[in-house]
Amino acid sequence: MSARILDKNITFDRYSGGMVRSETQAGIPIKVVYDPKDIEHIEYKRDLADPGQYPYTRGIYPEMYRNKLWIKSFIVSYSTAEETNQAFKDYIAAGQTGLRLNADLPTQTGIDPDHPSAWNSMLCGGISSYSLDTYEKMLAGLPLENVDYELAHSSISSALLFYSFLVALMEKQGLSIANLRGSNINDPFRANIVYACPDFPTEIARRGCLDLIEFGVKNTPKWKPYAPNGVDPQQSGMNTIQEVAEVLGVATAIYGDIIRERGLKLDDIGATVFSMDAESDFFETIAKFRATRRMWARIAKEKLGATTERAMSLRIGIRTSGLSLQTQKPLNNAARVTLQILSCILGGVNSIDASSIDEAIGLPSREVRIFNLDTQHIITHEANVPLVADPLGGSYYVEWLTNKIEEGAYKLLDEIEHRGGMWACLESGWLRSQIEESRFKVQQEMSTGKRLVVGVNAFQGEEGPISRAIEHTSYRVPSKKLRLQTIAAIKKLRKERNQQMVRSALKEVYQATKEGRNIVRPVIEAAKAYATMGEVVGVIRMAYGYGYDPLGQISVPIFIDELTRG
Amino acid sequence: MIVQRNKIIRVVIGKIGCDIHERGATLLALTLRDAGMEVIYTGRYQTPEALAKVAIDEGVDVIALSDHTGSMRYIAAGIIEALKKYQMNDIRVIAGGLIPKKDIPILEKMGVTGNFGPGTPFHVIIEHIRTRVEKG
Repeated sequence: MSARILDKNITFDRYSGGMVRSETQAGIPIKVVYDPKDIEHIEYKRDLADPGQYPYTRGIYPEMYRNKLWIKSFIVSYSTAEETNQAFKDYIAAGQTGLRLNADLPTQTGIDPDHPSAWNSMLCGGISSYSLDTYEKMLAGLPLENVDYELAHSSISSALLFYSFLVALMEKQGLSIANLRGSNINDPFRANIVYACPDFPTEIARRGCLDLIEFGVKNTPKWKPYAPNGVDPQQSGMNTIQEVAEVLGVATAIYGDIIRERGLKLDDIGATVFSMDAESDFFETIAKFRATRRMWARIAKEKLGATTERAMSLRIGIRTSGLSLQTQKPLNNAARVTLQILSCILGGVNSIDASSIDEAIGLPSREVRIFNLDTQHIITHEANVPLVADPLGGSYYVEWLTNKIEEGAYKLLDEIEHRGGMWACLESGWLRSQIEESRFKVQQEMSTGKRLVVGVNAFQGEEGPISRAIEHTSYRVPSKKLRLQTIAAIKKLRKERNQQMVRSALKEVYQATKEGRNIVRPVIEAAKAYATMGEVVGVIRMAYGYGYDPLGQISVPIFIDELTRG
Repeated sequence: MIVQRNKIIRVVIGKIGCDIHERGATLLALTLRDAGMEVIYTGRYQTPEALAKVAIDEGVDVIALSDHTGSMRYIAAGIIEALKKYQMNDIRVIAGGLIPKKDIPILEKMGVTGNFGPGTPFHVIIEHIRTRVEKG
């Protein structure tokens, strides 16, 4: 028998791959184990209560998922209206229960596809829905009443236009807009600190947001006209505690303004939905949802005067973290998304938009979307997870962590108040600096090996055929030809629409804006006249004395120049 | 053009079009600054023409393009065209962000190098910039 020769290239380490971190992603230091002493100050009725009971820590419905699963939703927005329409139909057949709309980047910026800055991002991220006719095609054959439509766009002009498109479609078909369901992110803070949306300066964005809430409460009572967003601030860099404080701060600021300036009560507005992030830190994410529900219930009751259960019980809609997904070894993203979905369900959320495993590479392709829905079906029917409401309630660790996140978020909210409130923190740049500081900290932790991301700064390894296949199948950006077709289509629309109708509708938008009337009804009428995104944004800006083009590159069209003079 | 050795490298980082993902661009700006380069970040919503003008006016050695929409080949084509128009094609162009793998040869052919994906260690990018500037 020959002697065994050890390969010198192999170094075996029993401890390799061990933990490098003893704190959560947000930096909360964690002990090895938790015991009854860590939660002895919790009073069940006061701090937790049964699901469906104030302060809703354990969920907002007594029976939770037994009666009503979370809404399974995700953004569907491909390059053309026809393709998007077909995709919605396929996904509904596969179990999608909420329709989440989006638009390409130029449209969300408030410019039309024939604007010089549109070309390089045109049809990227979704459809170029610059006018009502694109919505007519995109939603052809799909029900409009009593379906949850979620508007996920970045800017206030998008919130305004796309809500108006939905209302206009219903009214044109003789449907009752009282049956419009769903939600609109409509968050001027996120539009500014995350996207730096150039469409509207803050004063117009704030006014548009309040007009949408006021109009929505009065005319589309099943619609949630406002859904403050923590997803994108966190994706931009905020940590979990900052996200909770930010989203609660935004809700308090906007509702404070609505109550003060428009004479509405929180009870009139009804249910509030927060759009939140599900990051990779499993328990931190679960605890976050529990803490946010409890904090909202108390803020709604004590600060904003809510008296109804509906106004105090917070709906949470999720988008799982796109940032956590990696281009390296994309197969691993399946594990990431699955864990994030699980944390949402254990945290009792009400709707889930789960990211797709190819999302770091391109827009999601069909098969991974179905995989996405199937993951949720497996968690429901095979893993049996949703059987019990708040299954982690009472866990020493989870309850302690819930308190800890709450404590940190209240501390930040105090600081915001100290600095003059949310609007002041927006104007001073303090909110943005919060994002940048955390972003830099994460980067430093990654480069010093204090935060490991598999495939990126640890466990790089080789990519195999499955990962390569994922790279090849992800949805690609549109060709030059499609971009040219889009420009041709808007030019055709401008020529063929009823010019008199467009003029008078846009004039009314201009005047309503100038006179301080609610602009939503005039914008709906402009939508019906096939006015475009760029035109509506332009006249609203001009009514405030700003230039027509948010990017200052094109001059005002002659017919608009005329109608704003006369 | 004579390339001075050890001169301070000037870089403009630009985002063209309406892509909002600026984590990479801002972190790169800080990192290049810390590596001793002079860095200008244009912010978002730029046109190729405007970025080329900034690059020329500021006398930069390198234009670094960042984009996460998958449209880098269109964006880069616009920049190269603008540089040619001003006969300033000695400014080097590098790119990073979400770049489809099949577009990389197309970009290289245009003279756009680097084409770094997310998660690329910053020292790799710094080294690439130095090498390209030294090569002239």
